[in-house]
Amino acid sequence: MHLGMVIDLKRCVGCQACTIACKSENGTPPGVLFTKVLDQVAGEYPIVKKKFVPVLCNHCQDAPCVRVCPTGATTKREDGLVLVDHDKCVGCRACYVACPYKNRVFLKKGALKTGYFGGNQMTPFEKAKYPKWQEGTVVKCTFCVERVDQGLDPSCVQTCPADARIFGDLSDPNSKVSRLIRQRGGYQPQPENNTEPSVYYLE
Amino acid sequence: MAKTMPLVGEEFVAGYRLQTEWATLIAAAFFFGKIGAGLFLMSLFTDSSVGALVGLLIVLIGKGGAHLLYLGRPERFWRALTKPGTSWVARGFWAMMVMMVSGALFLLAEPGSGVWWAAQIIAGVTAFIVAVYDGFLMNSSPSIPLWNTAMMPVLCLFYSLLGGTSLTLFLVDFGLTTVTIEETLLSNLEIILLVTNLIVVILYLLSMTNGTAAAKESLRLLLKGSFAPAFYILAIGVGLVFTLFMAYFIGVAGGAGVVALITLADLIGHYFIFFLFLRAGVYAPVLGKLTL
Repeated sequence: MHLGMVIDLKRCVGCQACTIACKSENGTPPGVLFTKVLDQVAGEYPIVKKKFVPVLCNHCQDAPCVRVCPTGATTKREDGLVLVDHDKCVGCRACYVACPYKNRVFLKKGALKTGYFGGNQMTPFEKAKYPKWQEGTVVKCTFCVERVDQGLDPSCVQTCPADARIFGDLSDPNSKVSRLIRQRGGYQPQPENNTEPSVYYLE
Repeated sequence: MAKTMPLVGEEFVAGYRLQTEWATLIAAAFFFGKIGAGLFLMSLFTDSSVGALVGLLIVLIGKGGAHLLYLGRPERFWRALTKPGTSWVARGFWAMMVMMVSGALFLLAEPGSGVWWAAQIIAGVTAFIVAVYDGFLMNSSPSIPLWNTAMMPVLCLFYSLLGGTSLTLFLVDFGLTTVTIEETLLSNLEIILLVTNLIVVILYLLSMTNGTAAAKESLRLLLKGSFAPAFYILAIGVGLVFTLFMAYFIGVAGGAGVVALITLADLIGHYFIFFLFLRAGVYAPVLGKLTL
């Protein structure tokens, strides 16, 4: 099995519902985003169009972050998910620098001390979610591994109102993701880096 | 990919993004590693045990300290020894550890004994690795074209040798050590290394002109953008041109004060060139040009 995602840029409306769903699912501190939607202009003046490009960890098959990690904290599972073991991470940020997509986040000292509303007071939600993170370590999108292990789609996929994100098994030629990539000419971001991302984009 | 997109920060806009994580402390760690290892190598060459000791201490305290200060979880530093098979961070850490142990053995052992020879060879090899591994570490980042070039380890090696030579001259001129070769030879070596470094830096920058759009954006930042004043004044002007001028026209004949000035200028240039290379690292946009 090789889990991956297809993102249909024609469908994305830039509503950032995926961004919010991700934050809600993972309970990340302020300023920490595992996914977001970037604005990008397509075409050239005067014929231009604004497009939206959702970005997240690409769970690369030949992930530079796995290679450069000196502790083995970043690993790749058999199903292709690239995960970080926070207990092993020393916070050297070699993975952060090596990621061509800049999709990793470093949790600075104090990042878990203040919630969204400041004043050293945290909401019950933040109190429940923050213990899974560790300050001084690198964090990133896990494709919502806890949900995936239960057979569910990642939170961003489930939330997307435009059905722009599709999750599935890339190794199965009959899966929806494989068919979309085949039929619509799906492409990986920055293929020149030879990282074999598990996220494909459709235009 | 042509550069049609802007340089952006953390806003939700596609574009080129600056590398911001590795900056002051990592530049300091690389700097101390290179000058310490360079001084140690030069000390083996000139038979200066004081130089070797100072080199070891610079690597241990300067490089080791900067790395520990930088780590998010310094108490787990030992874990960074785990994966030398694929990680240059781990390889560098191993090299540093072996250099410390074998370097200490080299200084403590009876000169000419088997242990002394073995420790000298191991310490020399590992010091060489410490001097150049930063270059391989940066080169192993496919994400930042400014670093992803085979010239980076070469640049590290020459800067390390230059730093080592300058510090050896400094120690000799201040009467802190004696060396087995003529001081004028060391002075000439410094001039040759300064010219070599200037050429290597120019070649490095020229190689970027044929690079990707992200490489060109880095080059623009260094030569015309926000980093240009520091690059021209500190990295090139003070670090190479002024140092070369002083070393060529005055040199060791000017006395300890001039040698101290040359050493200081060289070290300032050394720190800033790698600091600026780190800061000017640019990531390409996630996707290239989109169709309408």
